[in-house]
Amino acid sequence: MTTKTGDQESPQASSSQGDQLSVKRAPPPETPAALQTRFRVIAAFWAVIIFLGFPIWWKTTSIYRASLPIEEMVDWADGKACRPVFPLDIHLATPSMQSFEAQHLLRTTQHTLDDLNEFAAHHLRLKLTNGTTTAVHNGEDNLEYPAKETADTALTVRLLPQDGLASPWSELHAAATQLDIFYPPSQVPVPSSSNSPLSTFIAAELQQLYGEEKATIAHILSGNTAGLDSTSPQLAEDIDRRLRRSMKYAETYHLSFSLFTPGSEPSSWDIEAAVKEYVSPLLQALSPISNFTVDTQVQLYANFAPTAPKPEYDESEAAWTLKKEGLSAFVNAAEWPLNPSIGNGPTINFILYVPDPSQSPLIVKENRASSWIVPQWGGVFLLNPPLSNTGEQSAPSNPSHLSLDSLGPAFMTFSHQLLTLLGTPSTPASLPLRLQTSIRIRAASLLLSASSTMGSLARLTKSLPSIPIPATVATSVSTTLSHLSASCVHLREGRFGAALASARVAETEAERSFFEKSMVGQVYFPDEHKVAVYLPLLGPIGVPLVVGLLKELKRIAARRKANGAAS
Amino acid sequence: MALLFRFLQAFALLLLASAVVAEHTSNWAVLVSTSRFWFNYRHLANVLSLYRTVKRLGIPDSQIILMLPDDMACNPRNAFPGTVYSNADRAVDLYGDNIEVDYRGYEVTVENFIRLLTDRLDEDVPRSKRLGSDAGSNVLVYMTGHGGDQFLKFQDAEEIGAWDLADAFGQMWEKKRYHELLFMIDTCQANTMYTHFYSPNIVATGSSEIDQSSYSHHADNDVGVAVIDRWTYYVLEFLETQVTSVTSKLNLGDLFDSYDESKIHSQPGVRWDLFPGGEQEGRLRTVVDFFGNVQNVEVENANATEPGSLKEDLAEIARLVEKWQNRDEEYSAMLADSATNVTEDLHSSSLHLKLKSTVGPTKMAEDSSWGKRLVGISVVGACTAIWVAGSFLGRSSV
Repeated sequence: MTTKTGDQESPQASSSQGDQLSVKRAPPPETPAALQTRFRVIAAFWAVIIFLGFPIWWKTTSIYRASLPIEEMVDWADGKACRPVFPLDIHLATPSMQSFEAQHLLRTTQHTLDDLNEFAAHHLRLKLTNGTTTAVHNGEDNLEYPAKETADTALTVRLLPQDGLASPWSELHAAATQLDIFYPPSQVPVPSSSNSPLSTFIAAELQQLYGEEKATIAHILSGNTAGLDSTSPQLAEDIDRRLRRSMKYAETYHLSFSLFTPGSEPSSWDIEAAVKEYVSPLLQALSPISNFTVDTQVQLYANFAPTAPKPEYDESEAAWTLKKEGLSAFVNAAEWPLNPSIGNGPTINFILYVPDPSQSPLIVKENRASSWIVPQWGGVFLLNPPLSNTGEQSAPSNPSHLSLDSLGPAFMTFSHQLLTLLGTPSTPASLPLRLQTSIRIRAASLLLSASSTMGSLARLTKSLPSIPIPATVATSVSTTLSHLSASCVHLREGRFGAALASARVAETEAERSFFEKSMVGQVYFPDEHKVAVYLPLLGPIGVPLVVGLLKELKRIAARRKANGAAS
Repeated sequence: MALLFRFLQAFALLLLASAVVAEHTSNWAVLVSTSRFWFNYRHLANVLSLYRTVKRLGIPDSQIILMLPDDMACNPRNAFPGTVYSNADRAVDLYGDNIEVDYRGYEVTVENFIRLLTDRLDEDVPRSKRLGSDAGSNVLVYMTGHGGDQFLKFQDAEEIGAWDLADAFGQMWEKKRYHELLFMIDTCQANTMYTHFYSPNIVATGSSEIDQSSYSHHADNDVGVAVIDRWTYYVLEFLETQVTSVTSKLNLGDLFDSYDESKIHSQPGVRWDLFPGGEQEGRLRTVVDFFGNVQNVEVENANATEPGSLKEDLAEIARLVEKWQNRDEEYSAMLADSATNVTEDLHSSSLHLKLKSTVGPTKMAEDSSWGKRLVGISVVGACTAIWVAGSFLGRSSV
């Protein structure tokens, strides 16, 4: 099109140039039609660039960033969105008291408790109950069915009168969430008194029972060692140590039981029976907190690392001993096939080591212990089975098969180590209560960790403007936030099982949103790289276009001026 | 001067003893060589030497991520097949028989490296290829290859910029993926690589200043190429001769003081400012804080009786076991009673292993393929329409 008009113009131009050569060296005026054509051409090119080229460029080079509720996420991370509280329901069963007496006792005890409590987020709520036996199983049922409308019962306190007592005493049921308190009938508070030795005693007992839990939760919520003023330094250190050695939370843990021996025997063990007998009940009880898978292996001819300290024979103990400081090198990490790559949960290793007959029995030098915990990794148990002499001349040998009975102590120890590694608190001395406590502790720490992940993601979004944020991240974030608030509400209403379940979902979703794998698209381009990419591409096209546009604008402006001058 | 230094050191030690040092609970090492091909033998030897050292000091293979872009041991030009040496005396075969390479060959890319650091990996990626560090982990990152001003070349095809590395560490810090991090790099103009770091608790050290080359140490005439780089050689010399066991008390200050420019032939650099307490505090970190695996093993006293001790727990677990056995019996009795109503999910004491759902073939294609086709067709259609309209209008106007 343009070339055609150009061809038509050129003869005219050259002829007129010849005529006016002497007068003026300027070209002849263009015909209006030619001007219009050129205007159209330039406009068409620019229209294509503006309405097609520019949007395509914009669309293809822009990074998709789903909008995230940044404010809300930061609020969660700063702890503004939710203040976790832990109201524990404690049922008071008073089978042999008048109801008004019981009411009064409840009031005074509650009053004393509130006075004693200095950590407002964790408080005990007393309630009267009539049932004496039904409540006993309540605690563990809550463990199994976390989603319940009513608040969980943390503990049932049964008050039993006993004649011939000078002062009340208590007994904690080790297998149930029940505390029996025996009191002399004379100590039942009379309605006129505002305080009584019995209510003081109950309050002190409860306070002591939940002391460690309270300190732990305070520690987690404040995020440092200085949790509560009243916490003894000893307890604070214990809590700190426990939190340090316990495994990072995971949805699924792989338990790996391994039998290592330097010789050829024992080559088999009753592992299935042992796991079923000793580990399964514990895993069942821990099922609200995490999922578990179990793997086992037998490794023969497993040697120590060449650099590891060798066991030494101790005459006085009549045993081979390992020094405590050498224990960290006991596991031959380079050669023993541990840490199998299964799934994506962490592995907790339990190693049963049967020493060579020539080095049996093997114990730890300092305290004759036969087991130890490697923080955040697993546990080791040294099993010294009775040696058998097959013949007169031959050296004693290990049994070729380890029976269920001989595995008993080892697997009990492993269960204990598992509890320790999962961060179960050491008091009170009742496993159901400790498991309940660990549900609350896990709920608190998951709530915090998911919240802080939200904060990290929010900060990341702001600080890296070139990182893409796919829609799935936005979905995960909203799921996380809704589960976080659900968890917070559950906590406030005392449904800890449900709170943990929500917090678990929140944690999983938060991790998923942060570790979304398409969020790596950002690769930094320095500005000079951009120039280097765009200049060769756009230079040759851009220059004629821009120059053409400028010329056209100049012409239009000149004509306007001319028109203005003429009129 | 020396006396003053001694005094300072003693003072610093006192400080250390008084302040409670925040402990780390695990150690991780990421060792990366970024160059291929036989003449870059020394880069792989660098990394393998360091691998050997951290393994000797106790970091298990599961906590070492080793990235090797080429396999020198099996290179046809290797006169000693199956081995890699970092010294002409060929005393130590670095390849040995127990080496776990996590990323090899063309898996060593910038993308994979950044994904590794930020853990933005597919769910199917095995744990051996993941950096599983957490808020209590000390991480050692060692990189070597060919680099330049603020970049390090990966595999002759791409490069990682100092900005990307800084952002990756920034994200690690955001997600609490390290407690303290030691970054070491041996490449030309290495010190430019850590200039953009901004996240705290990082100590960074490199082999050469901007516009300086990093040189190889010596060549093995039988292997035919240089076998190790200078800076790495002297770092290793320090680690191998001075840090002989996990209990070594030598600190980072000692390591960095051992740099000798007349031997290294370039100016090594150290960056302290990101570390809380700066150089003074950073120098006190022991070498094995990063190169070794520190474990505080807890021996259980079988005779203690305080709450939470082994004995107490054993008794409780025994009770739990007993209870579950009773429940099991009740359950089987109940089953015998009412065999019809088995569908109710009652808890048997056997382990609840998740039944694996059967995996069948699934369609891998994206669901929106039709949408994409539609978009394509409409774009082509629009372009055609514009062209037709354009030519039609053009004809009419002429």
